[in-house]
Amino acid sequence: MRLETLFLIAKREYVQRIRSKGFWIATLILPLFVVAAAVLPSLLLSKSRSTQRVVVVDETGRLAPRLLEKSPEGGKRKMRDQVASFTYEVEPPGKDPEAQRAALDARVLAQEIDAWIWLGADVLEGKPVEYHAKTVSNVITQEVLRDNLSYVVRRERLAGAGLDPDRVGELSAQVELTTVRVSKEGSRTEGGLAGAAFAYVLFLLLYMVLVIWGQQVMQGVLEEKSSRIIEVVLSSVRPFELMMGKLVGICAVGLTQFGIWLATLATVSAPGVIASLAALPPEVKLPTVTFAMVVHFLLLFVLGFFVFSTFYAAIGAAFNNLQEAQQVAGVAVFFLVIPVFLMVRIINDPGSTFAVVASLIPLFTPLLMTLRISLEMPPLWQILLAYALTVGFVVGMVWVCARIYRIGILMYGKKPTFQELWKWIRYA
Amino acid sequence: MSDSLEVLDVRKSYGKFVAVDGVSLRVPEGSIFGLLGPNGAGKTSTIRMIMDITPPDAGEVRLFGEARRPEHLRRVGYLPEERGLYRKMEVTEHLLFLGEIRGLKRREVLPRIAKWLERVELGAWAKAKVEELSKGMQQKVQLIGTVLHEPDLLLLDEPFSGLDPLNQELFKELLLEYRRQGKCVILSTHGMELAERMCDHIGLISHGRVVLAGELAAIKRQVGGNSYRLIAEGDLERLQTLPEVEQAVVQNGVVKLLLRPEAQGPEVLRQIVQFLRVQEFRSEEPELEQIFLKAVRDAA
Repeated sequence: MRLETLFLIAKREYVQRIRSKGFWIATLILPLFVVAAAVLPSLLLSKSRSTQRVVVVDETGRLAPRLLEKSPEGGKRKMRDQVASFTYEVEPPGKDPEAQRAALDARVLAQEIDAWIWLGADVLEGKPVEYHAKTVSNVITQEVLRDNLSYVVRRERLAGAGLDPDRVGELSAQVELTTVRVSKEGSRTEGGLAGAAFAYVLFLLLYMVLVIWGQQVMQGVLEEKSSRIIEVVLSSVRPFELMMGKLVGICAVGLTQFGIWLATLATVSAPGVIASLAALPPEVKLPTVTFAMVVHFLLLFVLGFFVFSTFYAAIGAAFNNLQEAQQVAGVAVFFLVIPVFLMVRIINDPGSTFAVVASLIPLFTPLLMTLRISLEMPPLWQILLAYALTVGFVVGMVWVCARIYRIGILMYGKKPTFQELWKWIRYA
Repeated sequence: MSDSLEVLDVRKSYGKFVAVDGVSLRVPEGSIFGLLGPNGAGKTSTIRMIMDITPPDAGEVRLFGEARRPEHLRRVGYLPEERGLYRKMEVTEHLLFLGEIRGLKRREVLPRIAKWLERVELGAWAKAKVEELSKGMQQKVQLIGTVLHEPDLLLLDEPFSGLDPLNQELFKELLLEYRRQGKCVILSTHGMELAERMCDHIGLISHGRVVLAGELAAIKRQVGGNSYRLIAEGDLERLQTLPEVEQAVVQNGVVKLLLRPEAQGPEVLRQIVQFLRVQEFRSEEPELEQIFLKAVRDAA
């Protein structure tokens, strides 16, 4: 193999792709997409704050005033309290409940008010409160309302039993966890949920680059074949040089993209930077991305790329068009999706035997080892063993796929059968 | 005169199918060599083995008087029958790439690209993407790509198929220029008429075997003794029934007659005048097509 030829092929692949607008659009859009998928729902929720006008009919006569003065529990504003709030209008129960109910319904229909609730005399004994509104699918609003009512009813019951509601509230306050992640680089307070979210985002990004650039390898090979440039090139370049050059070039493109993303993640998660980001609540603490982690992530990307892209290159060479190749390309996606199903178990216990074994299987190593490293740094021997096994696997893949590639690349016409592909592999 | 290319008993099978069954060829320096044969005869398979694109099962390829080494291939300009370009690349950039993978330095190849683009009137398209070019323009780019490294041997597989007439002239001009410079051209084609006009040496391949090879003039002399041109009226079909007649092809009222080697022209004419009104009967050089058909039939 001539390295300078390989380099020329790789350079062409790299320059052509890095220069395209599509590359930069994808590089900028995808992280936005991933972050949006993670953050947007809660962001939307907090922005779509609704204030409901509620008429309260109180038969007990004691609850309604308390509802009006009600302050959030423990003075701590919960997330969902920001989502829904209420303005109450108290109405005494009339002589004719049926007429009063009908009148209230009419006001709801006229959109004068959003809802009305009926606090029966037996509410304190545990009877439910009636809630009447045009829509009853606003579950979050209802939950907030229920919490508010529970709070008021609870205090009233406590007072009825001769206890001081404020004192009881203090004594029965919930215990909160402050999560501290212990690592060699020093312990740091970080949210458990944020740690999992970080691992999840990284996992998704890696999954995407592996699929995207694997597919690109396949399409590149198919294009060389269908545009008939292949034989011109093969008169000066060995098939193995061409295949490896293409893989190295596209790997460098993927590495550039993944590197940009990692650098962004590392910058964003650096202490100090995160605090200045207004978008995130101050109590959310992201895990720090260390230099060693970045190196591992990049290495794992390269390994993952070669595990799957050699396969993509071989099927690109063996088949004649995208439709034919796509059917077989599903095999690669299948092995990429399995780790997605294992992910939840591993996030919950990244050091378990299950996680260790799964992350040592070469087909899963790139994604699962990345996941483990982002959660907690595994022992070095496990990482090195995983690398060694994956490198061995890649060598085997290259050997097999180069054989399919070498023959397939000049075959036109009929779609090869699996027996034929097997014959190509064995053919010297 | 030494040989630019020697192919020695090369063989290639794909499974049970024997594509090339022991082909040997000698291509003398400074010649235009026609590698002829019908579709599926094994021409492209042979060429791919010459270019080391597929390895032969047996046999040897020698280039420029030596056993073939990878460096030799950089002195060959190969235009495959299946040829294309990277559609998304700019013309100059694409040609630069083709030059570089043949071992040329950027500095030496860029002026050559500019010169060639001017020569084929594509100067204004140097920065255009390949996909913006018309098919004829792309053919010109392919041609430049083939000769950019100033090869000593051109190997063109069906160069004229799909070419527009203007580009055909361009290609022919280039071939003749090569011959003037004493370089060598190998032309694979199934178009006999063209080969006849351009080639001085030929090799005929049929069913993976060489059925006839050598200097075209010598081959014609050798076969030519018994080739006649006949203009006559009457039942021309009856010519086929004469035992001395090997082949009788009617073309625009003219019969091309090829007699068996032992047959005598005057003797055959005496028989012919008994059933045809003959206006003309004279000895002439056989056409390549006749030679080809005869050779293929003899081999079978």
